[in-house]
Amino acid sequence: MLVARVNSDTHLKRIQAYIARMPSLSTTVTKVLETCNNPNASPNDLKRVISLDPVLTGQVLKLINSAYYALPHPIMSLTRAIIMLGLNTVKNLALSFAILETMGNKRSFKTFSMQAFWLHSLYVGVTAKLLSTIKGASLSEREDFFVAGLLHDLGKIPLNSQFPDEYFNVLDMVKRGQGTVRHCESAVFGMDHCTVGQMIASKWQLGAFLIETLGCHHCPDESTRQTRSFVSIVAVANIFSDLLNTGVSGDTGGHGSMMTYLLEQTGLAWETLYDLRETVSEEIEKAKIFLEISQKV
Amino acid sequence: MKIKFWGVRGSIPCPGSSTVKYGGNTPCLEIRFGEPGRLIIIDAGSGLRELGISLMSRNDSVTPIEADLFLTHTHLDHILGLPFFTPVYLPDTKLKIYGPVTGEEKSLETVIGGQLSYHYFPVRQTELAADIEYINLKEGSLDLHDGITLTTKYLNHPLLCFAYRFEYQGKVICTAFDNEPFYNIFSTDPHDPAYDEAMAREGDVCARTENRRMEAFFEGADLLIHDAQFTQKEYESDKKGWGHTSIEDAIGIAKRCNVGRLALLHHDPSRTDRQIDELAEVFCDPGLTGSTEAFFAREGMEVRL
Repeated sequence: MLVARVNSDTHLKRIQAYIARMPSLSTTVTKVLETCNNPNASPNDLKRVISLDPVLTGQVLKLINSAYYALPHPIMSLTRAIIMLGLNTVKNLALSFAILETMGNKRSFKTFSMQAFWLHSLYVGVTAKLLSTIKGASLSEREDFFVAGLLHDLGKIPLNSQFPDEYFNVLDMVKRGQGTVRHCESAVFGMDHCTVGQMIASKWQLGAFLIETLGCHHCPDESTRQTRSFVSIVAVANIFSDLLNTGVSGDTGGHGSMMTYLLEQTGLAWETLYDLRETVSEEIEKAKIFLEISQKV
Repeated sequence: MKIKFWGVRGSIPCPGSSTVKYGGNTPCLEIRFGEPGRLIIIDAGSGLRELGISLMSRNDSVTPIEADLFLTHTHLDHILGLPFFTPVYLPDTKLKIYGPVTGEEKSLETVIGGQLSYHYFPVRQTELAADIEYINLKEGSLDLHDGITLTTKYLNHPLLCFAYRFEYQGKVICTAFDNEPFYNIFSTDPHDPAYDEAMAREGDVCARTENRRMEAFFEGADLLIHDAQFTQKEYESDKKGWGHTSIEDAIGIAKRCNVGRLALLHHDPSRTDRQIDELAEVFCDPGLTGSTEAFFAREGMEVRL
């Protein structure tokens, strides 16, 4: 028991150190460098390229929420963050994290494909945004859902990057039917990606909605009453993505009863989700074209 | 409060016969709170050199020089005077340097110290004899003791840049040396292929909200010292996004904020004394500024509050 706790403490320290300088995803890094180095790149392009990278999006929100103490509410909107921080500041921030990635951080995604992780994140973001639209969210609220969906699995990055061999074991255990990703992560690390995600969102001061989403997207009932319906919609999008096996989140289904429960809670229907598939695919295709991702992921 | 302008020019020092009246030094402001007074300096532009000479001449060579230096931001024209500020070479000097830093990868000390390195200057940062403490500032309020309170607010500039609001014995002085009113930077043209309705609308709302927050920060100031680098015509021709305000906008802001006196600062380096006089003739007319008294700041000028 003592050994397990010592390991868990070591994991925690390494994860905390990594969170401070988490690099951008290699899936988006070429486009980030191209856009930020182009003096004529439009603000719309800059916002778009950042909004396709969960780490960069988190870093921009981290900067605005940690520097602007006087704001009445945490900021979840990239549009707002870019106007307030200014194009130059955001471009430089994006460049610094993109460069971190190109400096040889190739081990970041040793265990599972970074493109698959990116695809799953984007799928959940786009689905959550569309679901929020159906639920009557305003234009600006929809962006909050997109960001939450995009960032929901951020906690997997430090685990995967810092402990690739252990993470390989986690995925192997999942494959052999020994439990869900969360359960196997807890067994191996003494913590799961939700705990790490919550740690990141708290450390970066991303606000209650993102802290709860990153921490409770597998168990929305454990989120605060104020954030529960928000987290539940992202949870629906996440399970839907797993069921369709888009990208690799690690979990490959078996969420039927949870989904039925969450659909009831959110007032959504299976048919609604089914109807969204084409629109989501179109959005993902547009993103791939924008990022010039040629390989099939 | 006693305020003295040691540098009023923007971008780069511009000495010469055409800038004698308003001065060619970049921003530096001395504020004395009380008598003989706590010394607070805003920005370390080239004007800081002459303030240093003045402090040395006023000093009895027994009492150490103590000052708080608040940097609005770390662009070169606001920090280049520091290596030429004589008191930093005296071991008795106590200097606290406050300022914003974008991101967390570099401290204020590292950013300022960049200019005090081998390729740029013969003296290294570690060789400065004074007792210097660097303090990274964020948005918020600070009790500076002696009855002085400070509030900080980020402005719109290509680098995180502060507006400062000092309150002392019921008087308020606000500074916004480099600032551009917020505007929607995202495309609002539905025919633009990159147009996004949510982004366009959020951009509009954000610009309006931030301008309201900014003006609330200046509200009721007895003295507002504000960026006025360009005319509106110059701003609109090709200066949008450079991080500076037009004279017309600065006056509009001061009027809406019920400011007592407005000092226009950060004059464009190409602006001659004659041109500034002509602009003053037009824009500082009480018929235009209403109850706000507006003037173009001049090197050596003193204001008492």
